[in-house]
Amino acid sequence: MLEIKNLSIAYGKVQVIWDLSITVGSEAVGLFGPNGAGKTTLINCILGMIRPISGNIYFDGRDITGLETYQVVRLGIALVPQERELFPLMTVEENLKSGAAYIPHARNQLVDRMNFVFTIFPVLKERLSQKAGTMSGGEQRMLAVGRALMACPKLLILDEPSVGLQPSIVTEMFAKLKQIRMEGVSILLTEQNVKQGLKVIDRGYVIENGRIVIEDKSEKLAQEEHIKRAYLGV
Amino acid sequence: MKRIFNLYTFFLLLLVVVALVRPYAFFYGLQRGSLYSLIALPLALILGIVGLLNLAHGDFLTLGLYIGYILFNQFKFDPILSMIFIAPILFVIGLAVYKSTIEKVLKSHHLNLLLITFGVSITLVELINSLWTSRPRNVYVTYATKSISLFGISIGAYEFLYVAASIAVLLVIMLVLKKTRFGQAAFAVGQNPRGAAIVGINVKLVYTITFSLATAMMAVSASLMMPRVSIFPNLGGPFTMKSFCLTAMAGLGNLPGILLSGITLGIAEAIVQSIPGYSGWSDLVFFGVLILVIAFRANRGAER
Ligand SMILES: Nc1ncnc2c1ncn2[C@@H]1O[C@H](COP(=O)(O)OP(=O)(O)OP(=O)(O)O)[C@@H](O)[C@H]1O
Ligand SMILES: [Mg+2]
Repeated sequence: MLEIKNLSIAYGKVQVIWDLSITVGSEAVGLFGPNGAGKTTLINCILGMIRPISGNIYFDGRDITGLETYQVVRLGIALVPQERELFPLMTVEENLKSGAAYIPHARNQLVDRMNFVFTIFPVLKERLSQKAGTMSGGEQRMLAVGRALMACPKLLILDEPSVGLQPSIVTEMFAKLKQIRMEGVSILLTEQNVKQGLKVIDRGYVIENGRIVIEDKSEKLAQEEHIKRAYLGV
Repeated sequence: MKRIFNLYTFFLLLLVVVALVRPYAFFYGLQRGSLYSLIALPLALILGIVGLLNLAHGDFLTLGLYIGYILFNQFKFDPILSMIFIAPILFVIGLAVYKSTIEKVLKSHHLNLLLITFGVSITLVELINSLWTSRPRNVYVTYATKSISLFGISIGAYEFLYVAASIAVLLVIMLVLKKTRFGQAAFAVGQNPRGAAIVGINVKLVYTITFSLATAMMAVSASLMMPRVSIFPNLGGPFTMKSFCLTAMAGLGNLPGILLSGITLGIAEAIVQSIPGYSGWSDLVFFGVLILVIAFRANRGAER
């Protein structure tokens, strides 16, 4: 489904991703790593917001390297960005609708999708006419996830979706992600909360200084000494 | 919210007082202010959606006026009807200007953007100057010079079209922004271009269309004011300034506020002009009121 081959990315002269290759099939894949490892950079590059200096990105067998963001999104990749990137002056309802309105295959399932989002985040239903900019950080995070789900994506990319959410909602959201994954949506997830993240994913990569240092199944990752020490704090 | 309400009440009361004490200044100011708003609305759209302060704004108005003048002079076109020809021509010119200059520097520093529109402004003025010389041009139609009696004063009837047009244009813009897919996309882009791209909006296209459409909208003000102004190459500059003032006074993204600010400033200006010997002070009052309002708002923001 998603295949990244020998990707290198630099900001000006500073290279942050080094000859990196990963694949995401019909599965949930985790991307773990310390702050500044290059996770967000990699994701922004998949979405066409940054141009790589070399390497290629394929989606459904098609080379999407260098496509504009809106083109990538219309192919079926939805993003929950680390910075949420909502529309603060629009209501919750308008924000949700914006997730589907510009994607032809999502537009005609708008009502169904919205109800689906409400089953995951019931609080959004109660806030339909609230302006997104006036919501709390956690509520905005839920809205950002909801907006991405509105796009009926084939691949859902979440950049640290649990930041700022209360533990019960994180558990709930990850349970729902598992459900979404069962319905055939591939997932690529970065997470500081490695313990929770490992429960959702089938397979994971650990990325440090722009390179993959470990790749394994999620059960195996949980046993890794390096991961235990550096990310799980045990 | 309550404070804003009080401000509006205060504003309305002031209007009533002015209307009673100086009816001429009230109506004349209402007309002028509406015209200023009509001209300012496209500038506010470009500023709010593209994030660009277009210093060439008024020069597109000048261009529209000259196009209208030619249509009138050569083909005896009615000034108001010529709107339907001026608009598409301005759209194409706006599109060409945007694609050839502004889009190229859109990603760079704000100052570069400002500089390039300044450059466009100078280029347009010089182009107009060499095409049509600096000789003032006038368009006469009889219906534009009629006046009516209102509350014992005589006032131009034609200029009430400015009031109607500014309200109509405002309503149409708001409706398009709220109810059409393009409008919602433009609204989204104005708030967060990154977020807009993430939901599948072609941000570049929205910028291009917004700039060109806003430029085409200048046809409305150009057509309407055509019979009431002397057309000359530097006509646009002061209108750029005033449009920016109205937008700043209303606050970014507040389109109805532009109409309100326009009328306030128009009336303030008209009052000063009606005092014998002080008419030259009207610009000072215009900018004085602007500074007061912005200072007031900044102060109120700081209190929160
Ligand atoms: N716009 C930018 N310009 C220059 N350097 C950047 C830019 N964005 C990120 N970087 C640098 O690239 C590196 C990777 O950043 P990135 O945001 O991808 O890390 P991350 O793995 O997502 O970290 P975090 O877990 O903190 O979100 C960092 O060293 C960062 O300083
Ligand atoms: Mg990050």
